[in-house]
Amino acid sequence: MSKLNRRNFMSLAGASGAALAAGVGTSKKALAGNVTFENGGRDFSPVTGKERKAIPTACWQCVTRDSMMGYVEDGRLKKLEGHPGSIRTLGKLCAKGQAGVNQVYFPDRILHPLQRVGKRGEHKWKKISWDAALDLVASKLKPLRDAGTPELFMYQYGRHKASQAATMYDFMGAYGTKTIGNHTSVCEAAKWVGQESLWGGMYDNWDYDKTDYVVNFGSNQFETHTNHIPTSQRLIRAMVDRGVPLYTFDVRLSNTAAKSTEWVPINPGNDGLVMLAMINVIMNEGLFREDHFKYMRVSADHHATTDQKIAAIKAEVAEFTPAFAESRSGVPAAKIAEIARGFAKAKSACLVTYRGTVMHFHGADQERAAMLLAAITNNLDTPGGRVMGVGAGWSAPSTPAAKIHKGLHIKDGFKGEAAFPTHHVSHQVGPVIKDGHAGRPKVYWWSCYNPAFINGDNKEWSSILQDESIMPFLITSTITYDESSQYADLILPDVTYLERWDWEDMVSANQIAEFYIRQPLIKPLGEARCQGDVWPDLAKRIGFELAWTDKKDFVRQSCEMTSGVKEAGGFDYMMKEGVWHDPNDKGNYGFYAKEVDVSGDGVILDAKTGVYWNWKKAGVASEADAMSAGYLGTKGAKSSYVAQHIEGKALSAYAPNTSFTKSGLLDFYSDNFKGKGLPAFPTFTPTPEHEAMADDELIMTTYKVAVHSHSRTTHCKWLAEIKHDNPGWINSKTAADRGIKDGDAIKVHNGLGEITTTAYVTEGIVPGVIAISHHFGRQHSGIYGSGKSNPIDGGASPDPDAKNMNWKKHGVHPNAIIPNSSDPISGTQRWMDTVVRVEKA
Amino acid sequence: MNKIDNSKTGRREVLKGAGTVVAGAAALATGTEVAEAAGTAPRWAMVMDLRRCIGCRACTVACKAENDVSLGRFRTVVQEKTVGTFPNTKKGFLPIMCNHCEGNKEDGVPPCVKVCPEYPGKRMTFETPDGGKIRYRGGATYKRPDGLVLIDAEQCIGCGKCIDACPYGVRSFNPFVKAGKKPENQAADKCDMCKERVANGIDPSCVNTCQGRARIFGDLNDPTSEVAMLVKEHDLAKNVLLPEEGTDPHVFYIDPDNMLGKIYKKRTKGKLDHYVDLIP
Repeated sequence: MSKLNRRNFMSLAGASGAALAAGVGTSKKALAGNVTFENGGRDFSPVTGKERKAIPTACWQCVTRDSMMGYVEDGRLKKLEGHPGSIRTLGKLCAKGQAGVNQVYFPDRILHPLQRVGKRGEHKWKKISWDAALDLVASKLKPLRDAGTPELFMYQYGRHKASQAATMYDFMGAYGTKTIGNHTSVCEAAKWVGQESLWGGMYDNWDYDKTDYVVNFGSNQFETHTNHIPTSQRLIRAMVDRGVPLYTFDVRLSNTAAKSTEWVPINPGNDGLVMLAMINVIMNEGLFREDHFKYMRVSADHHATTDQKIAAIKAEVAEFTPAFAESRSGVPAAKIAEIARGFAKAKSACLVTYRGTVMHFHGADQERAAMLLAAITNNLDTPGGRVMGVGAGWSAPSTPAAKIHKGLHIKDGFKGEAAFPTHHVSHQVGPVIKDGHAGRPKVYWWSCYNPAFINGDNKEWSSILQDESIMPFLITSTITYDESSQYADLILPDVTYLERWDWEDMVSANQIAEFYIRQPLIKPLGEARCQGDVWPDLAKRIGFELAWTDKKDFVRQSCEMTSGVKEAGGFDYMMKEGVWHDPNDKGNYGFYAKEVDVSGDGVILDAKTGVYWNWKKAGVASEADAMSAGYLGTKGAKSSYVAQHIEGKALSAYAPNTSFTKSGLLDFYSDNFKGKGLPAFPTFTPTPEHEAMADDELIMTTYKVAVHSHSRTTHCKWLAEIKHDNPGWINSKTAADRGIKDGDAIKVHNGLGEITTTAYVTEGIVPGVIAISHHFGRQHSGIYGSGKSNPIDGGASPDPDAKNMNWKKHGVHPNAIIPNSSDPISGTQRWMDTVVRVEKA
Repeated sequence: MNKIDNSKTGRREVLKGAGTVVAGAAALATGTEVAEAAGTAPRWAMVMDLRRCIGCRACTVACKAENDVSLGRFRTVVQEKTVGTFPNTKKGFLPIMCNHCEGNKEDGVPPCVKVCPEYPGKRMTFETPDGGKIRYRGGATYKRPDGLVLIDAEQCIGCGKCIDACPYGVRSFNPFVKAGKKPENQAADKCDMCKERVANGIDPSCVNTCQGRARIFGDLNDPTSEVAMLVKEHDLAKNVLLPEEGTDPHVFYIDPDNMLGKIYKKRTKGKLDHYVDLIP
């Protein structure tokens, strides 16, 4: 049933409806004859048997944003499950997604605007009207705009994507601020920076439907991943249905490691080194495939022959023998060689990486090593390999930007902190603001973000928010009271994702873009308001108009202007069906091999790089000037890139469509990196803190479990019930050395502070490491997340189920002892490099 | 793909293929159940393919939501256990739920039904898909001719005997539903295989959301159903929980790595702490 497309899904639903007419209820003829079980799409009350109202929508518990069905009974949301017509999710939804119902009805939800009346952190609030709240916001924002200093209004978001981000950016552009922060540096920025330096646009997908072999470094995708449901189910099915092996390198026996063909324990920070050793084996044993070499640049020379490239790669990785890799990583040299051979010889293979690999010192370089390993085996952008992901490309209404449109330079960390902060250094926004040298916002508004919980050294972040002299006015849009909103001056009650409109665009696992929407399943509770409805209202109060009236209008207009969706029936179609994809789409493969017409006016070939570029489009005065300055010597020339000259043809290759100026070749040798004093070619750079470790010190790593997002689910009772405490995973030998037994209270400490948790003594982690999941230790997360009701009245109804709650532990937050410390390449927060001491408490 | 086929030939074929299922056939003609007119009920069953279970708990939570299961108890859980010595460590996952037992060979009555003071209760008729009628007896806990072991809260007195008697310990009191016949007590509760969804041709909620397709639901009496074919192909008749109890469970496990014996945490008599989904 998993291959149902939308049309036969709907027609089946109809057929079974007809069969049901014979008699509804148990023991009736409903099951007569040849009714086929449907893969969801309809749901029935277990109490009354009545069919529930089914509405297609989309999840938001994590960035995967699965398309799904919501089932409503008498105006109350009862159930969520995967959308059976979705080519991404194939009708599945994870535990977090299933618990989305809890987001609406948790008893500590905030359902009316609140204005602070006591000191920050005193938890004294008064309930005010939306009218008063927005007038107050306008009274803060309008003067900044009128004075020509719109940049003094900063907005920072955690999870904003698709139309939620688009509506926000539209408002901010029309208002005039570019001081907009995100959260990507605590997520996986190093991964994207590593990729952008090579193939341009980022987000790798792993083509599990077609692959024959999978090697996974540091991704726990059977539990949690930024595209979890679409990828995870395909991987486990590939393994069982087609015998595809999966090798997982991880410090910890995650569920993914547990279900792998083999768990390969590895010391933290050495993933890139093991990849380089695999490359060493593959090159020296002649197991590489030359197919993709023509797209690769591996030395300063843009025109090297394949033989020269082979020699160059061999020379670069010569020192990274499997034996050397074993000495640092703990992975046996023979195992490295065995997996390298299997990977190279497989018909197709996926090289997977995620946070375990990249949230380290030089994490971006480790990602570059992963790309190299994929490329030399012809598993980059080929069916069954590591492929460039595709998502839906929506068109949307847009409002002209304000005449004065500028930002404070406070998003990219301290000066010199990161060479390529293309996804910003969000964990340092607070400290940089406190420092003050780059200016301070007068108004700071955050949404779907909890900086005083999710960043490193979160207590420092907390003190920054609490100090009124640093930022005088704080606004938050939130559904719950938390570590950050407790310091706000104004709390605006946001809707949950189950009460709002959006169009969505997350990457497909099968290389075919899926367009899908989110629509409200119920009316927003209380006075909760969607931010997308607030922006146009606020704009009017400040004195400008947006090109759309509310979020629904934005989504409606987008559906009517997006090619494909529009022809399928636009907004009406999407409301009814929820998802759309182009049935003729064959999937995004081999885009780089497309021949390009270079006869256009102004197109010239740059001799040094082999790039065809358009000097006229680049704004150069004459062709002679362009030839003389060259492609790399002309500022902004990358935006006039046309094609790459490869083996006598002009091919689209890997266009430089990010902030990196490069040719159309995969820049495994990077002038950008070299220019900043960073390794031009992927290499192994030891982590300074690890080199300086004393014998009794351990490395602390963090991780996610299957049933929680980082910071937005602890109040979901069905998830908290399954996981609410976070003991430290410690190897039995490491524990024994310290006299620690399973269940003992332990202290974990370093220069930043100390936390106390219990020891989970296990054989499922490498010695020398302590792993603590990062969801818990909430100061405020309501009754289910923190064991106590929040110290404010949010106006939500009590949950009679609360009396059945039977857990008393609520964990500890490791971020308190993790410094905000960035990968010097990408600005990524180095979650996995923390050095600690552990002893019995 | 669980196409329901109620042809008698088909049913005989599957019975030949799976020995222990014969108890089910016998039960129809013995005990308290009465076969009336010609008619063949489906025999609902679940196959758990442990190769495919990734321990994601989507089933646990889907069940919570579908049935609004109160905190502190479950209708299905995933047990997990880590075994071995580093670096040769393994971890396995075991989804468990009500086994919808056929009952012992003598009388075809599951242990939970046998102890129910309200069983046999009112006379019920099961209309088979092929138009026949099978008469059977209801109760606070009873087995329907399609094999589902169900609870009728209206008939329940909240005595808890079924909760104690279940060797698997998958029953609990529902704090939100009164026992119909003795409202000062709470009614017993457990997995009903999402009977309203099944009645309407929709797969159970836990099955629906299982990403690996580790949970497969269908009619064992239909030899073309996936469950029947899997039971036959993997010879699962004895790959059930506690086969020695003679309860004839109808949740079968595909378990080529023999994880079942390593992971399964049995109930301690009088307790239900094995039936809690808790990630360490």
